[in-house]
Amino acid sequence: MTITREVVESDDATLIERSLNEPESFAVLFDRHAPLLHRYVTRRLGPGEAEDVVADTFLAAFQRRGDYDRGRPDARPWLYGIASNVIGKRRRTERSLYRAYIRSGVHPAEIPGSQVEDGVNTLAVNRPLARALLGLKRADRDVLLLVAWAELSYQEVADALAIPLGTVASRLNRARTQIRQALEQGE
Amino acid sequence: MDELKTMWETVPPATPEDLAGARRRLLNGMHTRRRVVTAPRLLVAAGVAAVTAVTPLIAGTGTPAYAVTRSPDGTITMTVNELRDPTGLQAKLGEAGIKADVAFLAPNTRCADGRFSSVDAAYNGQPVTDPDELRSLMNEWRSPKVTRPISVREIQIFPEYIDPDETLVLEFREEDEGAEVSWRLGAWLAQAGTPVRPCTPIEDAG
Repeated sequence: MTITREVVESDDATLIERSLNEPESFAVLFDRHAPLLHRYVTRRLGPGEAEDVVADTFLAAFQRRGDYDRGRPDARPWLYGIASNVIGKRRRTERSLYRAYIRSGVHPAEIPGSQVEDGVNTLAVNRPLARALLGLKRADRDVLLLVAWAELSYQEVADALAIPLGTVASRLNRARTQIRQALEQGE
Repeated sequence: MDELKTMWETVPPATPEDLAGARRRLLNGMHTRRRVVTAPRLLVAAGVAAVTAVTPLIAGTGTPAYAVTRSPDGTITMTVNELRDPTGLQAKLGEAGIKADVAFLAPNTRCADGRFSSVDAAYNGQPVTDPDELRSLMNEWRSPKVTRPISVREIQIFPEYIDPDETLVLEFREEDEGAEVSWRLGAWLAQAGTPVRPCTPIEDAG
């Protein structure tokens, strides 16, 4: 199938609907969202697992595309919701990443080269943050990081995780309190 | 909470090279359904093929296109003499207590993917090429256990494998004239309470 300009410029819902008859259209959705989804997964799990998680996410999405709510032109909440489930199965990897960072101060996918002074300051903030993230419940961490790193709105997080808006707010509030306390306590 | 937003923000978005493997997996996965469901289809076809040589599929005038009967052992026998009136067959199955969705397809076509969410990976699953693994999966999945061909025009249905409110999705496809079998059947279970979208026939050479 030739991917036409019309397909490339369609919104996500149109693409997904089109992919029911022309499965290759789904690759356009991948090209559109995979780079940032990969980044989000890399921040959470490190670079070793990111490609697998992205592939699993899109394969699961492809298989469930018949159920997609076509009233939602932006598929990011749907994709990040699926990714959250895939990440949830690798909790041990996520915890290991935070622990390794607390020990070494190095995230394996960060671009090195910032000035030493900046690096030290950053570390003084990031280490307590990593410790706080490690201590959060998985459900609270999902909500917090979908807002902070995936930049989803509260409503989009509710859609992604299939939870009420009020639950998003309460989980976010709890997680933020813990993060704030961790920052106040510092290293 | 700006500190959290900027945490590890120098992690860059993935490049096409970073994503090449994942993209390839997705593209391969898009074409897995046919390979996976071939197995149950072939099993059905094999049963049908055994008597195809002696029994023509298309019945003469006056024979009903289909019939549904319940056996004393609780199983249901679906007789299909002619691939006509899928809605009527569906209604007959409904009267026998089977919530079903029936589609009849022309040769070399199939329903577009993603019509429903299946209870198992017999529909839309990952590719399986190892015969032992396939056999083991066939044992594990419920979808292949629900139907069994008993003659060229009769399929036995085992309601014990259908959970409440699940839909039995049946896709009959007529085969080309001269083919080894007259038609093939794909049979799967859609998850309880989930919709089954109408079949959109698309070209399928396989």
